[in-house]
Order: sequence, then structure tokens, then C-alpha cells
Amino acid sequence: MKFKLIIDEEKDEEVVATVHNRSPLTDQIEQLVLAYSGADRIAAYTEDEVKMLLFSDIECITVLEGRTYAIDAHNKRYRLKHRLYELEKRLPSSFIRINKSTLANENRLEQFRASFSGAVDAVFKCGYTEYVSRRCFAEIKRRFDKK
Amino acid sequence: MKKFAKEFLFRGCMAAGGGPVVLAIVYGILGSTGTVSHFSPNEVCMGILTVTLLAFIVAGMTAIYQLEQLPLLSAILIHGAGLYAAYILIYLLNGWLQSQLIPIAIFTAAFVIGYAFIWLLIYCFTKRKTDGINRKLNKAL
Repeated sequence: MKFKLIIDEEKDEEVVATVHNRSPLTDQIEQLVLAYSGADRIAAYTEDEVKMLLFSDIECITVLEGRTYAIDAHNKRYRLKHRLYELEKRLPSSFIRINKSTLANENRLEQFRASFSGAVDAVFKCGYTEYVSRRCFAEIKRRFDKK
Repeated sequence: MKKFAKEFLFRGCMAAGGGPVVLAIVYGILGSTGTVSHFSPNEVCMGILTVTLLAFIVAGMTAIYQLEQLPLLSAILIHGAGLYAAYILIYLLNGWLQSQLIPIAIFTAAFVIGYAFIWLLIYCFTKRKTDGINRKLNKAL
């Protein structure tokens, strides 16, 4: 793999990596770049506090009754003031869509569980469980097949 | 609901033509084995029309699995009940099933066992896929 550094004060700063597949290295680069620019966290609200929640501490982001929530490693729920599609653009690539209203942090997934009804659930390290839609499961399978 | 109706129509129309083909194969087998030597025009017309409708319903009903807000178990039950109703009505209408308790009970048992067996196969298939993903997930972490 080559490393190329272009110093050009005229252009916007960005880090672009061309690779064949995602790997721990690309994840580390992504986290490093996001952390450097302060874009590795998001304002998260509870009834009495506002916290800058690190993306890496989020297990999943889900929409419940029209509101967006982040669930952290302690299964604590925080309100986010962004829509899911806005977050999808902003979050690191470790976040994958598991159904119409949930983004899961792949690094915080414990396992995928098949049930007798033919459904698949995503089980997170904090114990939170969310269903995986068939459409998203096909996409997740393709993603893991590449690994 | 509108999306479901549209998807039902689309899937139903796509598969409806396959019904008469299946019927032709069944008639062909019955004829070649000597089980049936002739059909009346009414029987043939009724067979073609009802099997076309059956294929339409069977394929259309699969659209229920596209409704993400519907729990999968409910979708399975609705799908199974819909298929059972369609099959039994069309079989009775064509006289392929006697309108008596025992034949209907045997048909019902065969349908339930067949349906459960298909879902068991789906479970095994899904389980294999999730096990494969879990192996890679645990390896990556």
C-alpha cells in the first residue's frame, strides 16, 4: 500500500484512502481523522443533562415514536436532535443500517440471532436487541462476505 | 396499505401466468398415467381460471413480508391463513377435495405440516447465514 501526502493550501483539507476493502486500518484512520476534527462525537440529551457522546460509545441509534435516540454501552438512552438520514451521512462507516429506523455500531454488536419465525435480531453488547429487516440483512451479509 | 396493495398486484400479476402452466403439467401427468381420460370444457375452464387466481393470490400474499412494521410472526400467520383459505376454497370449488370432514382434516394437516416444514428450512438457512456472520463478527473484534 502506498502513502501519499499532498500539501496544498488552496484546497479543502480531506483524507482520502483508496483500498480494496474496509479493514481495522481504515477504521483506525477514520476514527483518527474524525477525532482530530472533533467530529467523533455528538450532543446527546437526557432529561437533565447534555453530553458529548463519542460515536464509539454508541451501540445503536434508533427512531422511537418519531424521535431519534442513541443507546450507549450501559443501555442508557439519549435523545439526539438529528434525523436518522442526517446521522447516516455523518457517522463513521462502522455504523450499518439494520432496519428502516435503526443504525447499529458494528463494533458494539454481540451477535446476530436467528429466530424460528425466520426473523433475525441484532443483539448488542449492552443487551439491547433490535430486529434486522430482510433487506438490510442481505446488505449486511454482503458486507461481511467481503471480510 | 397502498404500498402493500400495489406490491400484491405486481407480484400477483407476475406469477398468475404460471398457474395454468402448473395445471397443464398436472393434467398431462394425470392423462399420461391414465388416471383421467377426459375433462369437460367446463372443468378445464374452471381449472384454468381458478388456478390463475390461486397463483395470483399465492404470489401476491408474499408482499406481506415487505411490511416492516408488521411483526414477522403476524406476517407468517396472515400469510399462512391466506394461503390456506385460497387453496381450500379453490380445491373445493374444483371438486379436487371432497367437502367432508376427513378429507378437509387431512388436507389441513398436510398444509400445516408442509408450511411448518418450509419455515423450518428457512430457519435452518437463516441460522446458517447468521452463524457465518457471527464468526466473522467475533473474528473482527
